[in-house]
Amino acid sequence: MSRFWRQALQVAKRDLLVEGRAGEGVGIVLPFGALAVFVVPLATSGSASLLADLAAPVYWLVTLLFGMQLALRQTATETVPQRRLLVLLGLDPVARFVGRTLSAWVLLIGLQLVLIPLVVLFYEPEPVPTPALMLPALALYALGLAMLGTLAGDLTVGLRTRTALAPMLAAPLAVPLVMGASQSLISISRGEGILTWTLLLVATDLALAVAGVVTARPLEETAT
Amino acid sequence: MTKRILPVLAGLALVAALAVALSSPPDVLQGDFVRILYIHVANAWLAFLAFGVTAAASIGWLVRKKPGYDRVAAASAEIGVLFTAVTLFTGMIWGKPIWGTFWDWGDARMASTALMFFVYLGYLALRRATPDRQARARRSAILGVIAVVQVPLVYFSVVLWRTLHQGLTIRPDSVQMEPAMLVALLVNVGAFSLLYLALLTARVRLARLEEAVEAHERAPAGRAVTAPRLETGQ
Repeated sequence: MSRFWRQALQVAKRDLLVEGRAGEGVGIVLPFGALAVFVVPLATSGSASLLADLAAPVYWLVTLLFGMQLALRQTATETVPQRRLLVLLGLDPVARFVGRTLSAWVLLIGLQLVLIPLVVLFYEPEPVPTPALMLPALALYALGLAMLGTLAGDLTVGLRTRTALAPMLAAPLAVPLVMGASQSLISISRGEGILTWTLLLVATDLALAVAGVVTARPLEETAT
Repeated sequence: MTKRILPVLAGLALVAALAVALSSPPDVLQGDFVRILYIHVANAWLAFLAFGVTAAASIGWLVRKKPGYDRVAAASAEIGVLFTAVTLFTGMIWGKPIWGTFWDWGDARMASTALMFFVYLGYLALRRATPDRQARARRSAILGVIAVVQVPLVYFSVVLWRTLHQGLTIRPDSVQMEPAMLVALLVNVGAFSLLYLALLTARVRLARLEEAVEAHERAPAGRAVTAPRLETGQ
């Protein structure tokens, strides 16, 4: 394995280890997201057909907003001295971006998998004929959100308003991801092809990957 | 000299543009409502230009690290946001009588323009949130380069998706527009371009003055005392 990938995997492993110890994502963000799924029906008339219609929008909204919280979690943020130490140790900034994205991606997949049964249970949407077809869309959606969250987190590192500012920067740019994933689900439900929407997700992910790689070095200068 | 001539020229051009827009013939289908489009389209084009200038100046800053590029990028983004807001507003007041609705969620051009607006609001918020000048310039330059991807997406949204908006009216090979209306549109584009230049030069000058005031305020404390660096204090 090349030095680059060893570094990237080390960063991802370190992030997940810290997350496992602190439990910020699993212990706080995940239950908060589940609570959001639970609260929405209480604010409606409770009609079964309305809830079935709301199932998918609520799912995408909660995964977007709480996914951002996961990607921007405090446990994946180094202090300035830590960052400087990593630079002195020769950590490639691009490997740092890739590693951080990987750890956020794992957590986002976890969030998605936990929320699906909750939404099905509380909202009882129309069953999807071939749910397995949604897996690539879900994975690409989570990957895009992870990259966007990492980028927004790096752009706002150290700012007092980071908690509000980073999601504000990321949310409008996440729209192609939400469109690609949600339209894939609609197309599968109608028995139509999802190639166009998968391509949209792939193109957005590629654009974010290029942005992440190109900006990794200047962003590192900002943070140190 | 420029700081007095440009605003006067822009003012005169806007009066002339208004006169041309009001004296142009009404549209067969839209009637007098077509006049709103002269402002709407001109503002949309100028917003694209403004965000393009922001991206170019951002690249300039990343390469040369000269503060002038940062001032131009920030000033152009502010004006771009203003022009985008006018575009959205005029589009909505035109849409109600012509399409029967202020907003249509199925229209890709409307939705993507609103998204572009929010992306650049985020750009301005990032600048406001970063107190250190150097860090502010670097962070906003990076975002300025990333955010400009929105511009071609908005422009070509009418080609990429089926929308309520009509396709491209003015192409390099053909213009699908009555000559008198085209003249009214181009005069408005020219007038708003002058307004953009006047606002840009004024805002850049203001930014330079703000920096001078900031430097002056810091001076009395002497070099022994420096303000805490809030941006990186964790």
